[in-house]
Amino acid sequence: MLRYILGRLIGIVLVLLVVSIIIFLLMHAIPGGPFDEDKMPLPEAAKANILRKYGLDKPLYEQYARYMWAVLHGDFGIPFQSPTETVVGLIGRTWPNSLVLGMVTLLIALPLGILAGALAATHQNTWIDYTATFVSTIGLTIPNFIIAIWLVLFVSVRWKLLPTGGWGHWYDFIMPVIALGLSPLALTSRYTRSSLLEVMRSDFIRTARAKGLSGHQVLWGHVMKNALIPLITIMAPQIPNLITGTIFIESIYRIPGLGQFFVTSIFRRDYPMIMATLLLVALLWSLIYLATDLLYTVVDPRVRLDKKAT
Amino acid sequence: MNKAIAPMFAHNAWLWAAMLILALLVQACAPAAAPAAPAGEAPAAAGEPVKNVLGKEMPADAAPLDQQVYVYPSRNEITFTTIDFYEQVYQRGDALTDLLSDSLTRLDKNFEIQTGAATEWSVDDTGLIWTFKLDPNLMWNDGTPVTANDWVATFQYGADPTHAWDFTWYFNGVIKNWEKAVAGEVPVTDIGVTAVDDHTIQFETQTPAPYLPAMLIYSTTLSKKALETTGPLYNSNVETSVSSGPFKLAEWTKNQRVVYEINPDYKGTNVPYIQKVIVPGYGDGTVLAAYENNEIDFMPAGRISPADMQIIQTDPDLQTQYHPQNGDFRTWYFFFDSQQPPFNDLRVRQVFAHAYDREAIAANVVKQAGIPAYSYLMPGFPDSNSAGFKATYPYDIEKAKQLLADAGFPNGEGFPKQTLKLRTAAAIPLAVAQAYASTLNKELGIDVEVSNMEFKTFMEELNAKPTGIQFGQISYGMDFLDPSNMLGVFLSNGRHNWNNAAFDTLVKEASSMTGDPAARTKMFQDAEKLLVEDVAGIWMHHETPGDLYKPYLKGAALEADKNGMAAMHWPGYSGFSTNLQDIYISNDVSNFRSTPPQ
Repeated sequence: MLRYILGRLIGIVLVLLVVSIIIFLLMHAIPGGPFDEDKMPLPEAAKANILRKYGLDKPLYEQYARYMWAVLHGDFGIPFQSPTETVVGLIGRTWPNSLVLGMVTLLIALPLGILAGALAATHQNTWIDYTATFVSTIGLTIPNFIIAIWLVLFVSVRWKLLPTGGWGHWYDFIMPVIALGLSPLALTSRYTRSSLLEVMRSDFIRTARAKGLSGHQVLWGHVMKNALIPLITIMAPQIPNLITGTIFIESIYRIPGLGQFFVTSIFRRDYPMIMATLLLVALLWSLIYLATDLLYTVVDPRVRLDKKAT
Repeated sequence: MNKAIAPMFAHNAWLWAAMLILALLVQACAPAAAPAAPAGEAPAAAGEPVKNVLGKEMPADAAPLDQQVYVYPSRNEITFTTIDFYEQVYQRGDALTDLLSDSLTRLDKNFEIQTGAATEWSVDDTGLIWTFKLDPNLMWNDGTPVTANDWVATFQYGADPTHAWDFTWYFNGVIKNWEKAVAGEVPVTDIGVTAVDDHTIQFETQTPAPYLPAMLIYSTTLSKKALETTGPLYNSNVETSVSSGPFKLAEWTKNQRVVYEINPDYKGTNVPYIQKVIVPGYGDGTVLAAYENNEIDFMPAGRISPADMQIIQTDPDLQTQYHPQNGDFRTWYFFFDSQQPPFNDLRVRQVFAHAYDREAIAANVVKQAGIPAYSYLMPGFPDSNSAGFKATYPYDIEKAKQLLADAGFPNGEGFPKQTLKLRTAAAIPLAVAQAYASTLNKELGIDVEVSNMEFKTFMEELNAKPTGIQFGQISYGMDFLDPSNMLGVFLSNGRHNWNNAAFDTLVKEASSMTGDPAARTKMFQDAEKLLVEDVAGIWMHHETPGDLYKPYLKGAALEADKNGMAAMHWPGYSGFSTNLQDIYISNDVSNFRSTPPQ
C-alpha cells in the first residue's frame, strides 16, 4: 500500500510538471500582456520598459526555467496585480476564506444530501420522495449565481434579514452556503437515492431481512456501505471545485476569496497568478483522485489497488 | 393528468402546500414597494454652527458629523494595485483614488480650471517655460512640508524606464525630453520639470502648450520622502501611508474595501464636508440591491446594467435619484483601416456613413444612455460644432446604394466579408453594432459579422503594425478639456490608421497656438471638418451617463451647472476636482439609515 501511495505521489509531481509547461505555453500564446493600452497605444519604449520590468523580454524557455527554479525554492513570484505581496502571500490571504466557505458548504450539503436521498429511497413514490426530487431538480438546473441573487433580493432587500453580503461575521455564511450548497446537495441526494434503490433490491439484502435484521440495521449497516462507492466517485470531484472558490458567489456576496483570481488573472495577463492558481487546482484534483482510490479500499474490502495480490 | 399523479394531488396536502409556496414566490416577483420610512430624527437644535474637524462650517441642513460618511462601491472582482495616479493609472481599479494629495490645478463643475496646490501660474514669451507657484501652507501629515521637489520626484518617477508607468503617452511631445527619458536615452533628471525653489515649479515644453494647466489636473503628487524611504507603493499600507490631501488612508483590506478619513493636518484649499469615505467592493448584479438596501450612497453609471435601467425607469423614486451628466465627453464610433482596400476608397466609407441611422438607433437602442453623434466632439466640449455637421452624412440608403455601385460593388456583390470587431462591448454598444450590421446586411447586401473580442486581444490587434482591425468599434473620452486631446487621437501613426497630413498640420498648429483663441477655434473646427467629411469614423453616439445617488447627498457641486445639468460631474468625488468642497450629507439621511455606516 505504501509503495502504491509513493508511486502515485511521484506520478502527481510529473503531472504537475507537464501541466506547468502546458499552462506556460498557453498563457504566453494569448495576445496582449500585463500592460494597458486603453486609450492611446503605448510608445515602443514604454512598452519595452514594462516588458523588461516583468522579465517578459527574455525568450520563453529562459522565462520558464527561471520560473521553475524559483518555484523549487518556494518562490512563486509576485502577482502583477498586487505587487506589495507575493503570490504565496496572496493565495495565503484569500484561499482560507474560500476553503472555509467550501468546507462548511460540503459539511452541510453532503450529509443533508445523503439523508435526503436515503429518505427518498426508503419512502419511494411518497410525498417525501417527490419533495426531495423537486428540491434536487431546482438545485441541479438553476445556476448557483441566480439562486444567490434571488437570495439577496429577498432576504436582504425585501425582508431586510441580512446585509447584502460581506465577510467576517457568522451570519455572512448563511446565504453563500445555501447558494453554493444546493447543487452538491441535489447531486448527492439523487445519486444516493438511485444507488440505495439498486442495492436494496439485491439478494443479500433480502437475506439480511430474512435473517431478521431491522430496517435501520439493514440500511445503515449493509445498504449504505455498498451504495457508497458510486457516491464517492460522484462526490469527490465536487470538492476541488468548492474549496477553490467560485467567482460568482464570491463576487455577489463580497467574499475576499480565491475564486475571482482564476478569471481576472487571465484578463489581466497576471502570469505568476495564472500559473499558481492553475497548478493549485491541478494539485488538488490529483490529491482528490488519490484519496478516493484509497477510500475505495476502506469501503470495499474487495478492491485491490496494487497490481500483485498480497 | 397522468393516472399516477392525479390521486397524488388529490390526497397530498403537502403537494398543494408546495404549489402555494411557489405561487407566493411568483407573486413576490412583483416590484418591491418602497421601504417604509422610519420616523426622522429631530434636526439638531439651533445654536452655534457646527464645524468639522478642519474648521469648515457645516451647512444648516447637514446631518450630524458622525453621519458625514460617503459610501461608494468599487468593483470587487478587480484587485486594484494602487490608489496613486503616478504609480499606475489603469491599475487603480474604479475605487475612489487620488485623495491623498493635491494636484496643481483642479476642475470645477463647469469644467473650468481652478487653482489647486498651485496658487498661480504663468508662461513666458516663448510660450515654452511655465512657472507654477505653490501654496506654501501644504504639509504632509508626517510633518514634512510639501515642496516643488515632491512634484519633480513624482514626474521623474513617471518617466523612469524601470518604473514602466502606463500613462507615459500623456506627456509625449509636451514636456521637454520626456520621450527620451522614457526610452532611457537621457537620465530622468533631464526632463522639463524642475524646482526653482521650494515653492516654485518650472515646466519646460517642447512646443507652446497652452493647454498645460488643463493637463495638470493629473498631478497629484507623491511624497519624495516616502518614495525614498518606503518606495512607490507606500500608500498600499496604512502604516507607511502619508497624505497631504484632504483625506488620509484609514484602512485598506485588500479585495474588500478602502476607507479614507478626513485628514486633520490638511492645509490646502480643497476642504471637504465629508468626514469619512468608505469604498467597499461590490460585484455586478448586486450594486442596485445594495443601493436600495441603503448600504451605498452612489451608484455610478458604469455599474447600471440595462436590467437595472428598466427598474429605474419604472420606479418614480429611483427616477428622481437618477442624474444624467456629460461624463468625460465620450464619443462612440466605428472606424476603418483607411489604408487598405476596400476602405481606402472614400466612396466606400461614405456608403457606410450613409447607412448608419443614428437617430433611430439612439431612440430605440441607446435611449437614455446617449445622444446621437453627428461629429466627434460632443456638444459642450470646447470648439465642438455638432450642429455644423448634422447634414454631412444623413441616413440615406438610396445614396448609399448609389455610392456602392459607383465604387464597383453593385448591390454589395464582390464586397469582401467584413468582421465588425468590438472591444468587450457592453450591452448597448453591442446592440448598436448588431443593429448596424443588420442594416448593412439587409439593405446593402454587405456581409458583416459582429465579433465581440476580449479587451487586450482587441488592443493587440488594433495597435499591431500593420493594424489587424479593418472595421471596428471603439470609444474615446477626454483626458483634459482641450480639442488637442480628443482630436489628437486621430493623428497619423496614432491609434487609427487614417493618416491625413492636412489634419495633422491643422491640429498640431492649433494645439500650440497662443494669443488668438478665435483663430485656434477655427483651426480645430476645420480639422474636425476633415475628420467628418473624410469619414475617419462613423460617429455613433455621445454618452450621457447617469448616476444614481441618494437625495440626502447635497451641495453646490451637485446643483445645476451653467448648462443646467445637475449631477456629480466628471471626475466625480476626486482630488482632481473641486467637487470635494461642496458635497455633504443632509439630515434627510435619517430617513434612509439610522446609524452611520462603519
